[in-house]
Amino acid sequence: MAHPLHIAVLGSATWALAALVATWLQARAYGKRALFARAAGDRAAGVKYVFTTGMLPQAKESVMMHLPSYLAGVAFHLGAFAAFDLLVASITGIKLPAAAFWLARVATLAGAIGGLVLLGKRIATPHLRGLSTPDDYLANLFTTVFVTLAGATLLAPTLLGAWLVAATLLFLYLPLGKIRHCFFFFSTRTHLGAFFGYRGVFPPSGT
Amino acid sequence: MAETMKLEARLQALTDADLERGLAAFRSRLRAAETSYLNSCVHCGLCAESCHYFRTEPILENVPARKLEHVAAVFKRHFTAAGRWAPALVGARSFDREMVRAWIDAVFGRCSLCGRCSLNCTIGIGLPRVFRAARAALAAMGLVPDDLQATVDNSLVHGNNMAISHTEWVETVQWLEEELQMETGDPTARMPLDKHGAKMLFTVNPREPKFFPLSLQASAKVFWAAGEDWTLASDNGWDLTNYGLFNCNDSQAGQITQNLVDAMARLGCTTLVIGECGHGFGAARWEGPEWLQRSYPFEIKSVLEVMDDYLASGRIKVDPTRNDKRITLHDPCNLVRHGGISEPQRRVLRQAVSDFVEMTPAREHNFCCGGGGGQLAMAAYKDRRIRSGGMKAQQIAATGAKIVVAPCHNCIDQLMELNKEYKLGVQIKTVAEMVADALVIGDAPRREEGALT
Repeated sequence: MAHPLHIAVLGSATWALAALVATWLQARAYGKRALFARAAGDRAAGVKYVFTTGMLPQAKESVMMHLPSYLAGVAFHLGAFAAFDLLVASITGIKLPAAAFWLARVATLAGAIGGLVLLGKRIATPHLRGLSTPDDYLANLFTTVFVTLAGATLLAPTLLGAWLVAATLLFLYLPLGKIRHCFFFFSTRTHLGAFFGYRGVFPPSGT
Repeated sequence: MAETMKLEARLQALTDADLERGLAAFRSRLRAAETSYLNSCVHCGLCAESCHYFRTEPILENVPARKLEHVAAVFKRHFTAAGRWAPALVGARSFDREMVRAWIDAVFGRCSLCGRCSLNCTIGIGLPRVFRAARAALAAMGLVPDDLQATVDNSLVHGNNMAISHTEWVETVQWLEEELQMETGDPTARMPLDKHGAKMLFTVNPREPKFFPLSLQASAKVFWAAGEDWTLASDNGWDLTNYGLFNCNDSQAGQITQNLVDAMARLGCTTLVIGECGHGFGAARWEGPEWLQRSYPFEIKSVLEVMDDYLASGRIKVDPTRNDKRITLHDPCNLVRHGGISEPQRRVLRQAVSDFVEMTPAREHNFCCGGGGGQLAMAAYKDRRIRSGGMKAQQIAATGAKIVVAPCHNCIDQLMELNKEYKLGVQIKTVAEMVADALVIGDAPRREEGALT
């Protein structure tokens, strides 16, 4: 462990994971709905669909109508994944190959731009602005700063301390607001896929 | 206006105990799926254009995520730690009169529970499930719009949602049977009532005997042509509708479903056939067993599946040249997106008409006509209903069709209003009417299987 702030990062990450698991368990504790209607399809096939072809842009009219936003979102998420990977490498001391560094630079740069684009859109679009709570802005800012500093630290290692502070703050905030969708995305999508799979709607039959 | 004022008066009279009761009802409707949905929205706003309300009136209150937020705000405040500790940060709100008013407007006044937003949500949130829990809470507080509740009450008291008397129903069927005999030239053509041991119990929307008897006659003609062993119930159990799906009072919805189950037992039929009605199919096929907390001891099918089977097996034959006008098909949300019945009606129409054109988008991506979710029964939101139907009107106009086939009598009512409002100049028909018009009948008169000779 190369930097004293790694302890703070690990502590906050532990808090984030514990709080997320607790929230998820609390949601699960509401129980499953008993199903008595005869199935018309396969729940598993519905779940498979929503995590595969159902994720493609062409499966959603909303995405096709907002491709720039969708691409900004994809870049933002890829940047966040790259930043987390770099964080793991930083804490464990794993040496990344040069190609991975280049990839991480591109991903974090794209992620930072994606985050800023989405923030700008949120501020500029009336119905998005009206929809937003402080959490929407904070969640974006914490993540964008974290991703930006991850990329910047690759170029200027003296920023490592600032990046680790940003990571700590992000982890502390993560379970409180909407970033918890990183956990709930999977259960939400599973529920939706199972519902439509059971009713024979997913995977879609028509062409 | 009067409806709105009545609701407002009831809102003002709400006590803390009422609010507690509503919150408890909301809590009781939540399961892991709903709580996951309520924890997941990222306010990306991409759902906005998926909603026919937003597309026809692009304001914040019509964004599905906004409607969800009203409900999620209460969930966060009362059921999550973050909402209790930092409500302003996460947008948590107490369940007070102001929020109840927002809920009524969002889940009754701006949503037809069509679920199109679910398919377009980047996360995959099943919004209608959450909105149904919110409607259940409002029902527990006595805040269902009166006219919607009256429809449910009719079913509970009279056995059908239009309070049609037993005599009126039976006489209508007998009159239609005579019409059927004249139309087919077969004096043995029947529309059996209470035929014990018949294979199929056919259920209908009360709008058919009341306003659209020809659609009921068309279904009967198809059964006659197929030599089907079928019956109607003369007493409770002939009406397939269940507005309990929309007031979200599960107890009342279960009682209405029980009418169908009792009729099946009384008549000893093996297959319950749901006529052309989206919400009726959704209620009976999917929600009914959940309301009753038991599986049906019989098979349940849509009449669309039955007609599809007839054509596939050669029990009926059709000549598509008899329907030579361009036709298009409306996909009722509860039948298609939430019901899983999208192909039978298409296979039937491709054989029964000569110029079939799809709307864009279609099937599970269809736009709601605007009449779903009980909207047709809520006069207070009529203007919004007609405006939101503008998306469907655009879809219809783009096809150039002369006939719109809608396998749902609620949708038909809404489409008829849209036809007038948007000057579409189309005819609106059921699938059975198209099939009946295209039937090719042999020389020999048909007899029902098992009919008395």
